Amino acid sequence: MSEVWIVAHDPVAGNALAGSARALGDAVNAISLGAGALAAADLTLLVEADPSTPVEAYAAAVAEVLASRAAKLVVLDSSAQSRLLAGQLAAHLGTSPVNATGVVSTDPLVVTRLAYGGLAVATEELASAVAVLVLAAGALPPADGTGAGAAEPLALAPSAGVRLLETRPRGGESVDLTAAKRVVGVGRGFAAQADLELARELAGRLGAELACSRPIAEGVNWMPAERYLGVSGATIKPDLYLAVGISGQIQHLVGVSHSKVIVAINKDAKAPIFAHADFGVVADLYQVLPALVAAL
Amino acid sequence: MRIIACFKAAPDDSDITVGADRTLDVSRAQPKIGSYDLNAIEAARQLADQVGGEVIGISLGGAALDNSKLRKDALSRGLDSLVAVAGDPDADSFQTATALAAAIGELGGCDLVLLGAGSSDRYAQQVGNQLGALLGLPTLNQVNQITPDGDGLRVLRLLENAEQVLGVTLPAVLSVTSGINTPRIAGMKDILAAGKKPVTDTVSALPPASSRTASVLAPEQVDRRHVLVEADPEDAARQLAQFLKTL
Ligand SMILES: Cc1cc2nc3c(=O)[nH]c(=O)nc-3n(C[C@H](O)[C@H](O)[C@H](O)COP(=O)(O)OP(=O)(O)OC[C@H]3O[C@@H](n4cnc5c(N)ncnc54)[C@H](O)[C@@H]3O)c2cc1C
Ligand SMILES: Nc1ncnc2c1ncn2[C@@H]1O[C@H](COP(=O)(O)O)[C@@H](O)[C@H]1O
Repeated sequence: MSEVWIVAHDPVAGNALAGSARALGDAVNAISLGAGALAAADLTLLVEADPSTPVEAYAAAVAEVLASRAAKLVVLDSSAQSRLLAGQLAAHLGTSPVNATGVVSTDPLVVTRLAYGGLAVATEELASAVAVLVLAAGALPPADGTGAGAAEPLALAPSAGVRLLETRPRGGESVDLTAAKRVVGVGRGFAAQADLELARELAGRLGAELACSRPIAEGVNWMPAERYLGVSGATIKPDLYLAVGISGQIQHLVGVSHSKVIVAINKDAKAPIFAHADFGVVADLYQVLPALVAAL
Repeated sequence: MRIIACFKAAPDDSDITVGADRTLDVSRAQPKIGSYDLNAIEAARQLADQVGGEVIGISLGGAALDNSKLRKDALSRGLDSLVAVAGDPDADSFQTATALAAAIGELGGCDLVLLGAGSSDRYAQQVGNQLGALLGLPTLNQVNQITPDGDGLRVLRLLENAEQVLGVTLPAVLSVTSGINTPRIAGMKDILAAGKKPVTDTVSALPPASSRTASVLAPEQVDRRHVLVEADPEDAARQLAQFLKTL
């Protein structure tokens, strides 16, 4: 019987991952770092995580447990904390984690990952004694169903060196851009945060969600991180994607290239986005947007 | 403080061409320092200027690393010296981290290792995580702010729905976000000075790769209509509004 191990630090994400992991093996075992027993797993090893250390401090101890249980396949989700856990425990197990965007086959284990910043897709056959996968959102179809739900306590000690002093929620609404039929994306073509109002009005007219390029979310922080699109952000497949003041670098395009219709507004006729657009307008967004809102 | 900044030179993606069979031609692409790696170099420089100390750049790579223009480019952005480790530019995260750990060992250690959010080609976001584990040091990713605090550091870390404030003892390995700073643009003086900074060349043996790459192909292109309007803004807006109403 083939076993899959998951490592989880959050109950909701952990159960979702346990469901997805069923596609990879017959039994799904979990190591839960403060996330409680996972109903979707067959067996959960429950670690009571010390609130004064980040959960990632358990990586070395988790790797030891996985090695002693002869784990062959370990799967984590792609949250920041899971990525750090994955990289660390993989290092202790002597392997490289693979960021899987899809699973081609399980025996042998073949997965896809993005290469050259999203310009290409690499197909990889895992070759190490233990495989550690970081599953991208949507890499495996979501699967419901419950597991055997057994649970056993497991006492682990965190490694020293990092103390968690404070956790603050990040002011940001949660949004599911993947569900939106229409999306308006804003980029560095906007000169000031207040100017995004122009795009917000347009989105309102179109019944669209507002999204952005990465620098808008992570450089100037004008929009929350869950609203940026691309290789490291969200991937959308709406009926309409309208990009305003976005150049169309490959890392952004990866997130939007499966939109049914792509429209671009950019003042530079040579902007790469136009090569990927159904309808392009070469003009200053500050002149086009008010006129467009009026004409709709 | 002795700070190491890790960076990778990868083929500039704007020079990579895709063939009709979806294979990639990177042969004409110039090597370029990853844009997110520049944040690591900048963060290292700022911290060294604040508390005193030196910044050593380390990069593992192939022929691209022999390029003197590239070396000068890295050195002009705030490094005091550079260690160039010859090795496979397509090395996976574990191979890369193993080579970097060896190079850091040869340097006799350090107080802090900084890495970027992700390399511009693999973008695995993993080399720092793995390097920290291999060195057995406190390790964090997504570090958005670094403040000296007594013997250690206080860092702000960005998660999806929360931010954490953490105390970290030194030495430590931190991967920074792309928003932590705005990397400097080197001036003429920096570029001239870069030519005089010391560079050490080393070689590193790599462990075997964790996976075998069967193919690397560009995704299937979606056919687009490519209507382009270059009229005055009012007129263009009208045409676009008409198009949008047909959807
Ligand atoms: C490893 C890696 C991962 C990355 N991941 C992502 C990702 O997931 N998502 C992402 O978006 N990016 C990502 N990036 C960044 C990406 O490479 C680009 O830098 C980014 O997408 C550019 O954002 P932009 O188009 O808003 O800005 P710019 O490239 O600066 O483009 C601004 C555009 O606005 C136009 N413009 C300016 N003024 C006006 C005006 N008045 N009217 C109309 N048009 C105007 C300009 O002509 C220009 O084309 C990543 C980069 C790396 C290296
Ligand atoms: N070959 C390399 N040499 C030196 N540093 C690297 C190398 N590859 C990756 N890094 C560093 O590790 C970070 C994460 O890379 P990656 O895990 O490949 O996304 C990069 O931003 C660099 O700072």
